[in-house]
Amino acid sequence: MQSLPRQISGGDASLSGGSVARQLVWDLPLRLFHWLLAGLIVFSWWSVTYHHTGWHIWSGCAILTLLIFRLLWGFVGSSTARFSNFLRGPGAVLGYFRGNWRGIGHNPLGALSVLALLLAVAVQVGLGLIAEDEDGMFFGPLATKVSVDTSDKARDIHELWFYVLLGLIVLHLLAILYYRLRGRELTWPMITGRAPAEEGTKPVQRGKWWVALICLAVGIGITRWVIAGAPPF
Amino acid sequence: MRLAVSALCVSLAMLAACGQSNQATGDQPAAASEDMPMVAVPLPKDKALQVMHVRHEGMEAMGKSAKAIARQLKSGSPDLGVIRSSSGAITSFAPKIASLFPAGTGPDVGKTGAKTEIWQTPQDFAAKAHDFERATQAFGLAVQGNDVNAIKASFGNLGKDCKACHDKYRAEMHH
Repeated sequence: MQSLPRQISGGDASLSGGSVARQLVWDLPLRLFHWLLAGLIVFSWWSVTYHHTGWHIWSGCAILTLLIFRLLWGFVGSSTARFSNFLRGPGAVLGYFRGNWRGIGHNPLGALSVLALLLAVAVQVGLGLIAEDEDGMFFGPLATKVSVDTSDKARDIHELWFYVLLGLIVLHLLAILYYRLRGRELTWPMITGRAPAEEGTKPVQRGKWWVALICLAVGIGITRWVIAGAPPF
Repeated sequence: MRLAVSALCVSLAMLAACGQSNQATGDQPAAASEDMPMVAVPLPKDKALQVMHVRHEGMEAMGKSAKAIARQLKSGSPDLGVIRSSSGAITSFAPKIASLFPAGTGPDVGKTGAKTEIWQTPQDFAAKAHDFERATQAFGLAVQGNDVNAIKASFGNLGKDCKACHDKYRAEMHH
């Protein structure tokens, strides 16, 4: 078991060593993003499986909004949300395996999982935007911008890509289980935002709530433009 | 030649369907026919595969037409000529649908998206096929006019009837 998505407190050291206090790790916008995304992915699967294709398309548009929000929040959000703080090179990942990582937020290995999940969801949304159903009755908002063949091919890949996404989600859940068996609880911190951290851990620099609202507004704005068929300005 | 084969298949299928409905309207109560859905004599396999082929090609052609029509209706300036010519594949095939599902053309015989439920609830299936046929007639009339909104509305109704049948009677099929 080598694929571990996320680590909350310092290094891989046991929490029993050193003094430990709960402190903020994930800000509210990030937690909302996480659970809304999880919920909408489940809803997207459910709605299309039970032939609510219209709802499925709306769900995909909502996920697009979330992704745009997350992308922006990854540049201007709290320190643990910023890509520049958690995306690191292979050296850091190797270092993590050797136990040379201290900090809060995504560890170097978990960051790869986060990146893979976000990219996989983005690919899935992109395919859905240009896909059309088999009967020519339901269309992604950009489906008529491409040819019938392209749109049909996009639907086929969209159906297959779900299994890629599913695989990453299963890996994500297994990793959470793995950490729990090793005494590190990850789910509760994603709900409350707080996790035990060794004393002296650099605290999270919080993003501003109004910046989060701007990110969300931009996400909604771009999504509405896409739903309108991406008209030229 | 191909047309002749298709016509032959359709007439065979119609004969088979007649046989089926005769039995369904016989002295057996409806519940009994639902318990024994395969009472009609199934088509021989080669004939069955021909019917299934005609069925598949026709359905696919309707799907292609619907996609072409939808692209026009979604564009700023729909080309009524394209809509009219594409509608032909739908309006001409729709009346044949009810007859293209004789007993013995289910998933146990060959590759098909047709679910066995079709032959378990044949009356409901026939009713849905009939609804669809009527919707295509209305659509055929609408495309003769120049009222794009009327065409859109009637195309939307058509889509609902496609979906009503597909949701219940079509399995996921990847090709």
